[in-house]
Order: sequence, then C-alpha cells, then structure tokens
Amino acid sequence: MTTQPIVQLQNISKTIRGKQLIQQLNIDLYPGQITGFLGPNGAGKTTTIRMMTGLMRPTEGKVIIDGLSLQDNYEEAISKVGVIVENPEMYKYMTGYKNLLHFARMHKNVTKERIEEVVKQVGLEKRIHEKVSTYSLGMRQRLGLAQALLHRPKFLILDEPTNGLDPAGIREFRMYLRKIAEEDGVSVFVSSHLLSEIELMCDRVAVIQNGKLIDIRDINVETSSFYYIEATPNDQAAALLQKHDYNFVTENNGYVVEIKKEDIPKVISQFVNEGIQIFAVQPHQKTLEDQFLEMTGGGQIAEANSK
Amino acid sequence: MLKLIQNEWMKLWHKKGTWAMIALLILFIIGPGVMLKYYETKTTEDITWQESEQKAINNNKEMMKDDGLSADDKKRFEEQIAISEYRLANDVPSQEDGSVESFMSFTGSMLTVVTLFTVIVAASIVSSEFSTGTIKMLLTRPVSRAKILTSKLLTTFIFGLFLFVVNVVVSALVGLILFGGTTGVELEMVNGQVVEKAVWNDLAYHYLLSGGNFVMSILFAFLVGSVFRSSSLAIGLTMFLSFTGGIIVMFLSRFEIVKYIWLTHSDLTQYEKGNFIVDDMTMPFSLTILAIYAVLFLVISYMSFMKRDVTA
Repeated sequence: MTTQPIVQLQNISKTIRGKQLIQQLNIDLYPGQITGFLGPNGAGKTTTIRMMTGLMRPTEGKVIIDGLSLQDNYEEAISKVGVIVENPEMYKYMTGYKNLLHFARMHKNVTKERIEEVVKQVGLEKRIHEKVSTYSLGMRQRLGLAQALLHRPKFLILDEPTNGLDPAGIREFRMYLRKIAEEDGVSVFVSSHLLSEIELMCDRVAVIQNGKLIDIRDINVETSSFYYIEATPNDQAAALLQKHDYNFVTENNGYVVEIKKEDIPKVISQFVNEGIQIFAVQPHQKTLEDQFLEMTGGGQIAEANSK
Repeated sequence: MLKLIQNEWMKLWHKKGTWAMIALLILFIIGPGVMLKYYETKTTEDITWQESEQKAINNNKEMMKDDGLSADDKKRFEEQIAISEYRLANDVPSQEDGSVESFMSFTGSMLTVVTLFTVIVAASIVSSEFSTGTIKMLLTRPVSRAKILTSKLLTTFIFGLFLFVVNVVVSALVGLILFGGTTGVELEMVNGQVVEKAVWNDLAYHYLLSGGNFVMSILFAFLVGSVFRSSSLAIGLTMFLSFTGGIIVMFLSRFEIVKYIWLTHSDLTQYEKGNFIVDDMTMPFSLTILAIYAVLFLVISYMSFMKRDVTA
C-alpha cells in the first residue's frame, strides 16, 4: 500500500483488573478501504473499537488518526471519526430529526441542509419527524448511520452495522459504504459476526482472538490457487489427476484441485483426449467462514488471559 | 458551550417527567392557597380582630405568671404583649393568614420542592446517559468530556433557577388573585420598639439563605449521579442526607469535627432564626466550609467523569 494510513493502532494493549484484554495490537487502516474486523465472542473487538473512539484509554500504545494522537489531541482527532458503537442508542423520547440536530450541534459546520441530505441518503425522510421510540431496529440503524455521517468523517467505525436491516437495506448499505469509500476516500472499519456480509463488503479482514491480532489479509487474493473441476466419469478423471501428481480432494460431484492457472488448458486437453466429459472448471475459493474457523480454531469463547 | 446547553435543555424538556415537575409545583402552590382561602372565609366572621388581640394579651399574661419561665421565654411573651397592645392602641389589625405577603412567605417553604425537583434532574442528567447507552454517542464527538459535564451542570442550575422563578411568580399570582384585597401589617420588636416588619426583605433574605442548601444538594446529587451512574442512588442519598442531616449533626455535635461537615452549614436559614444546631458559628465560616465542599464535590465529579472508561 503506497498511501499513508489514516488510522494507526500502535502497540495497543489494554489491561483491566489484571486481565489483559488486548495485547499489542497493530493495525493500519487506509483511505478508501473497507476493513472487516472479525473475532469470536470475547476476543476484544468491542474493547478495541472503544479505544479507537476514545471511550477507553489504552493501557499502553497509541491510536493515531490522520497523524494526530487520539490521547493527546482528542477533539481534533475525533472530529474525523464517525462512530456507531454496538447498537445506535438514540434519545428515544425525541424525534429522529431532533436527535440528528443534537449531534450536529456538537460538530463544527454541520448545517441544516447537511442534515436533510444525510436523512435522504439513509432513506428516512418519511419518518424522521417521528419519535425514535416508534422506530424499528432497522430504522434505528439507519439513523445511527446518519449521525455517524453528519460531519463527513474520514474514518468510519461501525460495530455490527447491518444488525436488524432488511435484505434490501443491507444491500443498500453495502453499496453506500462502497460509494463513500471509493468516491470520498473514507476508510471504513466494520466489525460483524456475519462473515458472508464481511466477505461481500470488505477489501481486507483483520482477525482477532484472545486480544491478539492473528491475521490481517486482503480478501480475494489467493495464496495458492485451487480450481474446481467437474467431469465424468469420475474415477477416470481422478485417475488422470493422480497420474499427473496434482493434489485434489473430492467435493460435491467433482474435485478441488491445487493447480496453477497456466496449467489449466493442459489439463483440459488431457481430459478431452481421454474422452472425459468436462462440465465445469472454475476457480475455487475457500469461503471466509472456512478461513475464519481455520484461523480461530472453531471459535470458542476465549479464556481471558490472566497476567 | 451555548450549543451544548441548548442540547441539554432540549433533552430535558422532551422528558415527560420535567413537565410533571412543573405541573406538581404549580399544584403544590395553588392547592394550599385554595384551602387557606376556604378556611379563612369560614372563620373570620366569628370575632373582631380587637377581641382576638385582647384574648392573646390575656393568654400571654397568664403564661407570664409561671415561675419556671426562662429569661428568653419571658422576653418573648413581653414582646408579644407589647405588639398586641400597640395594635389596639394604634388601630393596626394584624394580618390574617391570607395576604399576598404571608402567602408568599408560606410558599417560601416550597423551595424544598424546588430543591427536590432540581436534585432529581441533577442526579439523572449524567446517569441517564449511561443507563440508556447514549453516552457513547455523546462522548465520541469533538467536544471534551469536561465541556460536556459543565454543560450538564449549568443546565441543572438553570433548570433550578427556572423552577425558582416559577415558584415565585406563581405564588405571587395565586396570592394576588386569592388574597389581593386584604390589608394588614406585620409587626415586630426591634430594640424595644414596635416597628413594621419588612416582609419583603425577610422573604428575599430567606430565599437567599435557602440557596445554601439548594446548591449543596444539587452538587451532591450531581456528584453521586456522575460517580456511581445511578440516578436512584443519587436521589435517595441526597434526600436521606437532607432529612437526617440534622440528626447526624446532632449525634456528632459532641465532637469538634462537626464544624467541618457541610451538613452542619448547608441549612443557612438557621442564621435567620438564630437557633443553631452547633454553637459558635459565623456566616463567613459557614460559607467557607460550604465553598470548600462545593469545590471538593465538583473536583471528584469531574475527575471520575473525565478519567473513566466508558463501558455502558
């Protein structure tokens, strides 16, 4: 990555009452990139997010936002951040609009026009003047997103953002995040349990377990290449693959073969020569879920590390 | 800062409880007013005021015959007799219960209600943000925590002042409407002379002195509310102390340390009546002690609010 990271977590540790919840976390987040944040329950996701938003102070380490330390330069650093921590808790006894007005007053340069604009973006125009207590969870999520976007943040932190959204809402939301990431260069950090959601939405995933970062990788970049080949008769195809020393495993009606891309035509012509009928040859990707479970070892709730 | 206070004010008035407080306060003023008026019209016609004054003189003279009287009591009876005689001699009727002034003096005791309601606001203005989780939204803004807490404290005081104004205005209006017509003069003895009592000055002085308890109660509730994040604890503890404060001080009065507890001083109205819970107190000393505690409460509130991790 050539660009400067907009957010840097530098050696963040957090110890509460002798329990080390987060251990020396280092994460860089770049403009225009959507990073997913995964981890089993109790891994420290929310604690990390709280430290990134100034709700908690790290025991050690620094959070740098756009070159400013969150600890030393709080007001300026946080003004570039839009946040939804867990459920967007709003003042239920006020209307959605009054809630937005309330938060807008806490930022510089958020005009009434900007509020209208954001309301339109999240699709709440029709209900914005009703009390939040009458909103559904999905509508509250939309309002939560609206308050996070009010001040055009450079960095957006979202904790479980699609929780409660309907399928159309999720899709809309995903498109919208993509749009602001690509067009405005906003860096987005999304934590979610919905792995398929993260897979569709993110460019990168960071995986945390037991308070330690265990992996941070780009999605859709293959480390080694696998192809799924479906051909009949089966045993003949298998024999042929074995003859040429390819590693493969049976899956569904075909085989997942470890093979380089440039070797594919060769294999196909070999199959054709042997009279094997080929139905499908396609790149095979492990789902994020597979990868996640592999990395976290089944995802049990981690025991807190005692010091 | 103005915008922050505006925010707090907006939130405050969107709660039903706030309106209920105003309604109750007004009811608490009108209710007794109507009752007073009702009894007044029922009883006044029986005897003339001259007769009742004469009765009072006779009663007091009867009491004076008791040998066991202390010097203070004796003096008080003498004063009362003197005042009554002055009234008869100069044709100055005393005030019946119903007059704007006496009604307003009576509603001066409503300041307890004003204090109670303001304490409720002080206790919940910080803790409710924690219990609803909105504190996360509030603290992830480009506004320092100190400013947020200050805006909440100022809003509480503005609300308290607002209630006070409501109290004064409503009781003046109710007094005027119900008792506007009656005339009468309050008398008192000053240096052996019977003079007209300065009712309005006394009332203003009473309000001013009540400010001591008002401010200390609010700061205490604010402290407990922001440190323990529980509005019920804050309201309960503040009320508990204001009811039992006198007893606690009484228990501790044997010890020198009692002088340095804010509870001994927070009720400044003891300077008005002159009966102190603890002897040898002076106004400057009381004010100093109160100021020290006020600062202490504030420092603890701010420290805990600014330093703590938010896990709500």
